[in-house]
Order: sequence, then structure tokens, then C-alpha cells
Amino acid sequence: MQNYVLSKGLISLLAALLLLPVSAFSQELSPREIMDKLEDNRRATSNSALSRMQLSTCKFGVRDGKITCAERPRVKSLESVGKGYGLDLKDTKSVAILLEPAAERGIGMLSFNYDDGARDNESWLYLSALGRVKRIASGSSDDETEPGSLFGSEFTTEDQDTGKLDEYQIKLLEETVEASREVWKIEMIPNQERARKSRYSRTVMYIDKERFIELKVEMYDRYDKEIKRLLGSRVELMNGIWIARSTTIMNLVTNRLSNMAFLEMHTGIEVPDEFLTQRTLTDAAFRETELEKLRAQIN
Amino acid sequence: MSRSRIFVASIAVLYIGIISTAGAQDDVLILDEDVQFDADFGFDDDLFGAAFDEADSPATNFWLDGFTIKISQQFSGQINSHGVDLAPGFSLPRKSELETNRLGINIRYQNSFAAGWLLQASGHAKAYWKDDYEYKANGDSIDTEFRINELFVQRSFDQHSLKLGRQTVVWGETVGNSVLDIINTTEFRDFNIIDIEDARLNQWMLVWDYFGEGSNFSSFINLYPEFNPAAVRGSPFFFEPAFNLSDYDRDGDLLVEVGTQWRKSFEGSDIAFMAAYLYENQLRYEDPLSGVGDAIAEKNDFLLLGFSANRAIGKLLLNFDLAYSHDVLADSFNFPGTASLSNPVNLKKDQIGTSFGFEYAINNDQNVSLGIQAQTLLDEDEGLLPGQSLINDGIFGSWLVRYSNSLRNGDLVISSTLQGDLEANSLLALLGVDYTIDDNWAVNAQIISINSNDDSPLLLFAEDLRLAATITYSF
Repeated sequence: MQNYVLSKGLISLLAALLLLPVSAFSQELSPREIMDKLEDNRRATSNSALSRMQLSTCKFGVRDGKITCAERPRVKSLESVGKGYGLDLKDTKSVAILLEPAAERGIGMLSFNYDDGARDNESWLYLSALGRVKRIASGSSDDETEPGSLFGSEFTTEDQDTGKLDEYQIKLLEETVEASREVWKIEMIPNQERARKSRYSRTVMYIDKERFIELKVEMYDRYDKEIKRLLGSRVELMNGIWIARSTTIMNLVTNRLSNMAFLEMHTGIEVPDEFLTQRTLTDAAFRETELEKLRAQIN
Repeated sequence: MSRSRIFVASIAVLYIGIISTAGAQDDVLILDEDVQFDADFGFDDDLFGAAFDEADSPATNFWLDGFTIKISQQFSGQINSHGVDLAPGFSLPRKSELETNRLGINIRYQNSFAAGWLLQASGHAKAYWKDDYEYKANGDSIDTEFRINELFVQRSFDQHSLKLGRQTVVWGETVGNSVLDIINTTEFRDFNIIDIEDARLNQWMLVWDYFGEGSNFSSFINLYPEFNPAAVRGSPFFFEPAFNLSDYDRDGDLLVEVGTQWRKSFEGSDIAFMAAYLYENQLRYEDPLSGVGDAIAEKNDFLLLGFSANRAIGKLLLNFDLAYSHDVLADSFNFPGTASLSNPVNLKKDQIGTSFGFEYAINNDQNVSLGIQAQTLLDEDEGLLPGQSLINDGIFGSWLVRYSNSLRNGDLVISSTLQGDLEANSLLALLGVDYTIDDNWAVNAQIISINSNDDSPLLLFAEDLRLAATITYSF
């Protein structure tokens, strides 16, 4: 099962790496155009990326009027390399290696994510205990299953999904202020077909007008009860791209939260095609050598 | 209170203690499930700030970082006092008792010490405490054991990779009972080792991988083939043989195993062809000629040709393995953890076997898999004397079903395994719970039940009911 969760998580991993960039100063954008800008920026950052991130998950409570962890957080750290392929680079090949916790260290996942809905995504997992590379049946990202958890966290594939804007009714509710920044408050309501695949009846997004970053997202269920809330913080310019380096999602039903911290993110890396193959999973000497070369490009 | 009840109670107290300790917190108001959120709640942005502090510090590649260490304490035992009727008027008593009480430390090390080079090693040390069967077999005193599992150096360059040392080679696609997964030897020492992945033993080999444009070759040579070890004295699988079961006497012979596999991936599918010259992992034992002393261990070499494939269809993954074995011993009695017994028939025959099955992701949290293994000897009656028969005749094999359900974002995994033979003579059922307390601590509990009839080699374990618990600390 863990394998399946890992695969679903990884499929969306690259999308997750690309949280919102580019400065835009147009004042006359329609709600759809604002969302299109987000999509364009995500695609621009999806190609040839090397990142290191940390996922922390805990049950939360309140102390001194602030949300905080009620237990020691579970922490996973991982390193990921991705590259775009195909028409407009909409297909993605990626490799992710878990660095922590110790019990999961060395678990590797290779994923081919196809934009074409008719092609099933492909994933291979390497577990040292298994002693071999194993194909994982992950299915299409568009199948009618509930969204998968991202590496056992409260982030799901749906929370990180991109595209499919045609399947939403997009409406500007107001222009307001969030976290001392001017934002657009945009409501997205899925159409009937999309709603069947979604946990949410609507989402409300607070998008930084200058940096095109989601500072806050509220997610509602079919009874219009807020069930999740996402907060973006530590907004920084990384490699010429504005990014919320710390993103926290709170599950208001289970009272658990997860934080995704982008410790490093580098784009424009020249990733050799050979690296995005099964060899990277099984040949640790090759993998470490190639990773050193990728890191050397950053330096 | 009986010893079994004390055993069960001890495990329960251990669990409660660990879980309550891990959950202890100060001054935090735990929210009700029906709490309504509004904008009044702030968020402590420094909550995860330490991660960035660490990221800002200069990265160091210290050689000690390559260590992964796991310490575990395990208890397991029989909890169903009963008797096994072996013959009219004779019942073998099976009393409730602790069977394992052991502390283990597993150490794994991986270090890419230079460009294209890698050193990997793993091993374990175990201490067997009071009431463990190895403690009893050691004259009621604490026993220890040390073993190197992996130890190899790897050199990768261009499209090649060479690995020299103690390592594993795994063939086949079917999970748990592939007819092709026979390169490495296995040791099923206890009933709480169900998965072949946990029972597999490494061997000293040179492995050469060639990564081509569209396909890969992987070849190995084993200059010191090993054999399945005999059952450990005192373990549930051990029974007193008529003669001592010794290891194979090489007597200066140079034994060699070689094999190669060609593997190619297509969209939605992987296929592989393989060929190998091997020794059967299970030795065959014959009575000593003098009638006293150790049993004589006999090896058998054979040729293996194989094919494996998988096909992913949405959330369904189909697996298929096919093996043709030339000159295997027809009378080999091969049951995990037991040794081959002498038999008047000693024939070499050809054998064809297949294992196939599927894995299906019911949803993101639930997974089910099925594997069926079936084998048959070709020309099985040829060479038999009147009145003789083979231990395995017709189609023989096993089946394996696994189900798992992941809860609490993977912190709690409930799994079950059912395993039986194709003749429906035996059934092994396992229910397991894995709970990850935090990044370091994890606990596991298992209930294992065995049922069999008189035709099964598991007859001695009929109506056995075992409970096992393990607590693990990893860092």
C-alpha cells in the first residue's frame, strides 16, 4: 500500500515543486487569466528541476491563540529530479529518493507522468528489502478515485494538481488584503464532471497580486463546510522565481496538519535522459555520481 | 496466571506504555472534531523554521551519515495449548510458551566514497534472552549471533556496473512465491517470517549490469554457492533427525553458479528472459553408509530457463513467471525450514513451473494481491520401480493472498496474509498490525494461525496459534 501512496505522491511531486512564480503587474486580468498565469508559471518551472524538501506532519492544537503541533511532527525529507518531455513539455519524468526517516532511507521512485489522459502514468519502485525494481500499478491521474496522499502527508494529489481549468467556474469575489499583501480572492467551483472526482465543492484562493502566489486557500466539502485550509509563507525569490517556501495545509476534520518546506529548488538544470531511468533506482554508485554532477551545476 | 497470559499481558502493557509516552504533550488544547474555524486563529510560522535553519547551514558529507541502525526487541510464542494426533492413541503435546525473546541490532551502511564507487554493507547481531528457543538450545544461557548480510563494492562507469561481494539477485515478477526467485538461498527460521524477502540470504557474487539504450543485461557468477541452512535446534521447524544434518562437504571442489537476464520495458509492461546454471538450494540428505555419524549431504546441479512479464492496466498489475528446469532432483522434499529427507528414489527429471497473479489497488489505502505457484515434473513415472512414487507428483504448488489497509496517513497499517498449498491440505493465516509511533519508533503485532490435515507436512503445526510483537527503534 505504501508503494501505491508513494507512487501517487510522486506523480504530483513535480507539480508540487512549482509553486507559483513570475511577476505580473497587469491590473485588468480576468479571473480565468489570473489562473492561466499560474498554470503558465508552473509549467515554466516544471522542466529540469532539482529540489530538496521536507514534509512534516502532526496533530495540531491551539496554544496562546495560535495553531501549533500537539505532538512531535513526523518528518520526511527527500530529493527529487524532474524533466519535461513531449509536446510543450507537458509529460514529466521524475525520480525521488527518500533521505529520511532512517527506516525509509533509500526508497526510490521513478515516475513517468503523461499529460494525455488516454495514457496511464507509469511508476517503478525500488525497495532494498525487495531487492529489485518493481512496477507499481498507479492508474491514470484522472481516474475516478479519491486523491492520494503525498508521502503520507495531508497534502493530496488534488491539492497539488494543475491544469483542467476548463472544468471550473472561476469567479473573482473581491480584491482584499491577506498577510499584509494585496490579493485577489478567487472562487473555483468544479463542473459536474470534475465534481465527481473532487473532494471539494468549491475552493477559495487568496492570490498575491504581484507575485502570483497562493497565500491562503480554503477548501469546502459538498455541505459547504470548510474541511481544509492551506497557508503559504516564507515567500522568497528563488532562482528568479517567487515561491512560498513554506506551505502548510490543515485538515480541519482530522485536526492534522502537514508542512511542505522547500529547502532547495533549482530550475534550468541540465538533466541527462539516462538519469531518469530504472538504473538510477538500482545503481546507487551511478545515482550518487550523477547527483553530484547536477549539484555541481547549481554551484 | 498462565505463562501465555503473562506473555499476552506483557505485550499489551508494552504497547500502551510506548504509545502513551509518545503522545505526551504540554499545554496544547486539543480541538474537538466539530470545531468551526474562522480567521481568528493565527499560525505559528516558526513551527517548522528549524528546517530552513538546517538548510542554510553548509552541507557536509560525513562518512558516518551513511549508517542506518535499527534496534528491535521481539517476543513471540504459542498461545494455544493443544495436542497433535500423529497416530491412534498418540498425541504430541503442543503447550503454550514463549518461543522467541530476542534483541536485535541491524546496521546498514552505504557510502559513495568516490565518483562511480560505492560501498554497501549490512549485518545484524542478536541476543537471545531467557525462554527464547535458542537460549534453551544453548543450555539455558544467553546466546548471541552475528551475521553479515550484505558486503559489496560497486563500480559504475559508462553503461556498466560491477558489484563484487555478498549480495542478492532476485528474478521474477510474482510477489512472494515466484518460481524464478531461486538464486539466493533462504532461511525460514520462525513462523513470523512469512515473506520470502525477509528470509532471503545473500551470497558472494560478482554481478555485471549493462544498461543499454532500450534494454538491460544483468549477469552474475557465484564462486561459492551456498545451500539452505538446516533448521536451528529448538526452533518450531526443528525436529530431531535420525542423523545429524551437516553442511555440504566441498572437499576442495570448486562450485560455480552463473546466470544472465535480459530485461526490457515497454509502456505499461516489463519483460525479461533468463538462463542460469545453478545448484538446488536445498541439499538432499542420505543415511551414512556406516549407519552412524552425520547424514551425507548431496548437492544437485541443474539448468534453468525462464521468462517473466508484467502488465499494468489502470490500478491492476498482472504478473507472470515461467521456469523450465533441466535435471532437478525428482525426490527433493523442499519445504521452508525443513531439510530434505532420504528417499529410495533418486532421479533427475525436467520440471516446468509457473507463478502468476495480480496486485490491485482497491483505493489509495487498500491493496490486495494474489500469487499462485504451480509446478509439475515431466515424464514423472519414467525410471520408477513398481510401487515407488514421487514425493511430488502431478501438479503441486502453493497460493498466497495478501491484503493491506493503510490508516492515519500510513501510520497504522493492517495487513493479512493467507497461504496454502494447491491440494488444500494446509492453510496459514496471518493478521498483522504495524504502527509507526514517530520517526524513530514503530511497533508490530502478529497473530498467526495454522491448520492442516494428515497429508500436509504442516501436520505437526496443526491448530497452532501464535502471537508475536516487535518494537523497533530506527535512526
